[in-house]
Order: sequence, then C-alpha cells, then structure tokens
Amino acid sequence: MLCEVKERLNRINIDSILETGYIEELIEDSPWSPFSTIGHTERPDKVAAQLLEGRVAILVDGTPYVLTVPLLFVEAIQSPEDYYERSMFSSAIRLLRWFSFFVCLLAPSLYIAVITFHHEMLPTALLLSLAAQREAMPFPAFVEVFFMEFAFDILREAGTRLPRQVGQAVSIVGALIIGEAAVRAGLVAAGTVILVALTGIASFTFWYSTSISIRLLRFPIMVMAGILGLYGLICGVLAILVHLATLRSFGVPFLYPLAPLKAGNLKDVIVRTHWWAMLRRTGQISVANQQRLARGLKPTPPQAGDEQRK
Amino acid sequence: MLEGGKISSKQAVLLMVSMVLPTAFLFVASVITHMAKQDGWISLLLAIFSVLLIAWPVVNLSQRFPGKTIFQFPEAVLGKWPGKLVAFLYILWLFHISSEILRQFGSFMVTAFMTETPIIVFELFIMAIAAYAVRNGLEVFTRVNEILLPIILGMVFTVNILLIPELDFKRLLPVYADNGVVPIIKGAVMPAVWLGEIVVIAVLIPYLKKAEEAYRVAAAATLITGGVLTFSYVNSIALYGPETVGSWIYPSLNKVRMINIANFLERLEAIIMFVWVAGGLVKISIFYWATALGCAQWLELKDYKPLVLPVGVIFLALSILAHDSVLDLYTYLSTSFLPFSMIFQLGIPLLLLVVAVFRGQGGAQQ
Repeated sequence: MLCEVKERLNRINIDSILETGYIEELIEDSPWSPFSTIGHTERPDKVAAQLLEGRVAILVDGTPYVLTVPLLFVEAIQSPEDYYERSMFSSAIRLLRWFSFFVCLLAPSLYIAVITFHHEMLPTALLLSLAAQREAMPFPAFVEVFFMEFAFDILREAGTRLPRQVGQAVSIVGALIIGEAAVRAGLVAAGTVILVALTGIASFTFWYSTSISIRLLRFPIMVMAGILGLYGLICGVLAILVHLATLRSFGVPFLYPLAPLKAGNLKDVIVRTHWWAMLRRTGQISVANQQRLARGLKPTPPQAGDEQRK
Repeated sequence: MLEGGKISSKQAVLLMVSMVLPTAFLFVASVITHMAKQDGWISLLLAIFSVLLIAWPVVNLSQRFPGKTIFQFPEAVLGKWPGKLVAFLYILWLFHISSEILRQFGSFMVTAFMTETPIIVFELFIMAIAAYAVRNGLEVFTRVNEILLPIILGMVFTVNILLIPELDFKRLLPVYADNGVVPIIKGAVMPAVWLGEIVVIAVLIPYLKKAEEAYRVAAAATLITGGVLTFSYVNSIALYGPETVGSWIYPSLNKVRMINIANFLERLEAIIMFVWVAGGLVKISIFYWATALGCAQWLELKDYKPLVLPVGVIFLALSILAHDSVLDLYTYLSTSFLPFSMIFQLGIPLLLLVVAVFRGQGGAQQ
C-alpha cells in the first residue's frame, strides 16, 4: 500500500500544495463519490493509532491536517475518545452515533413519506395531533421540510463565517426567533421545526467528513420520499448502499468489516469491546503483523489455588 | 475474463438464499395451501428434499468443467452448434424468469401499497439500482447482500415472533388425515420448482473461490431458505387457518398487518416493505447479472457491461407484456410455469450430465 501511495503522490503535477485537501482530491479512488475515501484529522493521537494499525499517513508542511489512508466507512462513528473511556460507555455512545447517523440521513424523508403516503402507520393520537397541525398549512409536507432543511443549512454555513462575538447571537436569533416566528405566522408546522433541528444536531455527533456527505444526500432522498413515499425512501437508501459497496479505498473495500464480513473485526464497529479483547488488527489493512496484544490480558482476581502456590 | 470478481463460500450461501427467498416468501404460501390445505409444511419439507436432489446434477456438471459457466460447457459436452443452442435456451429461460421476478415484485408493490401507481414506476426504480449494482460487478451486489440479508431475515423472524400471541396451532390439525399423499405431493411441486431456481448457481460456480464446495453452498442455501419458508408457513397457517390463507394471494402481507404492539403501533406493513424491496433488489440483481453475463459469454464478447442497459430494458418490456394482471401472474405461477422451469432445472442438466459421463469428460474434478 505504501508503494501505491508513493506512486500516486509522484503522479501529482501542480504548482503548489497549500493544504492536504489538494492532495486528497488528486489521489483519491472515487472522485465523483459524495463519500470521502481518505481520512483526515488534526489529532496526533489519532494519527499515531492509525500508524500502529498499519495505515499510511501523509503530512504536508504548513497545515495541521494529516491525511490517513485507507479509510473505512465504519470510521465515521469512531472517535478517539471512545478508546480512552471505558468500554461500556463507549459502546453505548457508539450505538447512539449509529442511530443519529440514520436520523440525520432519513428523518426528514421519513416524516415526508409517512405524513404524505402512509398515515395509517401512525398511532391515532399522534395522527390527530399532526393532522391538526397540518390542517392550516399552506404548503405540502415535502415543500415545507425541504425549505426548512435548506434554511437550516444556510444558517449553519452563515454561523461558521461570522466573527466569534456576533456568530453566537446570530445563530440563536436565526434558529430560535425566526423558527418561532415562522410557526406563529402559520408558514411551517411546529413538528417540522423540531424535526429539522433534530436532524441538524444529529449531524454533529459523528465524523465531520461523513456528516457533510450525509447532509448532501439527505436532499435526493427527500425528493425520492416525496415522489414515492416509503418505497422511494428505501430505493434511495439502497442506491446509497450499492454506491458504498462499489467504493474501494486504496484496495480495501470501503464497507470492510461489514461486507466482506469478517466477524473478528466487528469488535470495533457496532460497539467497542474491551481492550483486552481486541487481539488482532484490522484484517486487510495490516497484512503483515496482525497481532496487537497477547491473549489472556483480561484482569481477573487471583484464583483460589494461587495463594497456596505462592 | 469477463467477470473478475471472486466470492467466498459464505458469501455465496447468502447470495443463493437471497436469490430464492424474497419472492418465494410472498407467493409460495398461498399456492401450497390450495393443494395441500394445512399439510403444506410437509409439502415444503418434501420440496426441500427434492431440491437437494435437483441441485446435484447441475453442480456436478459445473464441477466437471472448471472455469466455465452453464453458457459455456454445453459446447464442450455436445459440440459447438448443439451446445450453443442449449446455451441460448438457457439465456431465454433466464430472460423469462427475470422478467417474471420483476413482474412479481412490481405486482406486489402495486397490490399491497400504492394501487393507483402503474407497475412500471416501481419496476423502473428497482431496475435502475439493480443495473447500477450489476454494472459494477459481482462483488458489489454480493457485499450489498451481506449487509441486507441479515436485516431481512431478522425482520422476518421478528414479525413472526411478534405474532405469537395470536397463534393457534390447532389449526394445523389434522395432520395428513384430511389429505392423503397425492395433494401433499401436488403441493410440493411449486416450492420445488421455486427453490429449484438454485440451479442458477451454475452461473456462479466459476466465480467461487473454492469451486469444490459448490454443492455444500447449494445445499446450505436450500436448507436455510426452506427452513425460513417452512417457519413462516407454519406461522401463517397457525394464525389464520388453511381456508383463509388459500384465499389470499399474499398471506405474508396480511400477517404483517395483524401486528399490533401494545395497541400503539399498528399497520406496520410499510416498515416490512424494506424486507421486500431489499430482497427484491438483490434477487433481481443476481438474475440480471446472470442474464447479462450469459449473453456476453454466448456472444463471446470481452465484457458484459455494455449489455447491462439493453438487457434491463428488455426485462422491463417483457415484464409488462407478459401478464395482464396479478391474477394472471398467479395462475401462471401455479400452473404453466412449473413444467417449463423443470425442463431447465432438471431435464437439460440431467441430459447433459448423462452425455458428459458417457463421453467420459472432466472426471478429475470429483
């Protein structure tokens, strides 16, 4: 893999590299994919851990961002802090991240699909409440959600560009007051505002590069859900899944521990198992030296016979 | 090589299960109940057993000609032109089956969920995704299947388990006394033909990493599919009784409609739609891939990718032309389809095997 990286770096012929993002776009496997197949990070501990796993890191003078190759899709929900806390808490937070990943991608579309096409699925009380809200709405659910999501993205982008002092105030003004005013004016339903806010917040729980890909992909899935309801939503999700299955990151299949399924490597995907259980490194990435720890490191109290043997 | 992908035996088993299960899950229950009433589960067990036998000639034949799919080895067995004719017949059969599958999928979506929407809309979307997957090769839809099949099976089991409060196993009685042997055997023919679609593994065997495990793959897939079908079938009969199940076209859909969790969550068939759409996608992808590959190999082209879109268009057109309505489809599936498929699943491979043994070909692969 190192040879492959060097070869691709040598192929670059550009006037200057100001940031690792330039290199990323010039050496990546799938330029047209919304998903990034090369990882980047600012944290030295994350890079050190990845080097220990057998990945390759690319550093560029003048920028704190480091590229790491190859990248697996499941790293979207992994974060360095997971490994410094205890396993049970990290596992719970991982599950939360997986859940918010799906919320960020699917919540607006699910709302559109269920309200427009499949209202029989909602429990009666909820249905009555939502129907009452939607009674006075001028726009169909799809238009409302689409524009609210769009407005949220405008607010978010504006929030990152504003100077520090003004930024906080404007975000609060934008989100709270304009949202409130829109609901009071009868332009959007309160449920829509809640949904959009939830989606936006959920997008911050997992890794930034994946969250920007997901924010992009929300909109086509919303359109599909508006056209064909839940069938459209499912088709959209399946299309994304097929696309992910076609991606490779420097030779490693992007969906690696999940598909081609390697059960031993799943210890770090859905949950984070204890350190003493992570015996081997990731299969296709570290080919040569796969042993990470010795066996039997689980801390156990001394057995009954040990006292006498001493 | 036309197709560079290689898949492991485990992936092949999952692929073969997905190849048969999704639409079987929809259609088989009703037809069996017509014939065998409440003893349909015995028919299913009979069908599983007979498919284990049906799979054997095809696998044996494929293993005698390593690296060659079913479109290539008839030439080696029979000579160039008769062999090409047999391969062409298989291509026609695959075209036929694939458009049937597409139609089954579309009919189900229209009948169950959105009755005003024309079938072609549903079929078009799923074909577009399947074409994208097939164009990218075998490994792509194998990986997609590895992720989807556990979810599909999980949801099937969850649905069946959530219905346990409503089951009444007395509806399965009397066992055998009502019917006698002949209806049970008649009931076994349709699932046998359906599960017998496993012979499409002959297109897959050259792309397995370990071709000698091919029969084990076929047998494991048949057992898993048959097991899930039997479990689901027993559940359906225990839930509704034989007369009701026989009168519906889609008993499994109605089963899902009955789920009522704490009087709060009801009418959840839209969630189960995921099972059917995802299963349909993988099944259609596999047959799509087999057909496109077959056309390319028969025409001795370098690559099957340019054929993907035209083959897809043909499927769409055929699926619309083939039947007038879902009832027409249903009648076809319970009657004419069965002997037609049997010829290709059992008849021709058996003939080819006899000729191959007679000519002493390829014995080394045993």
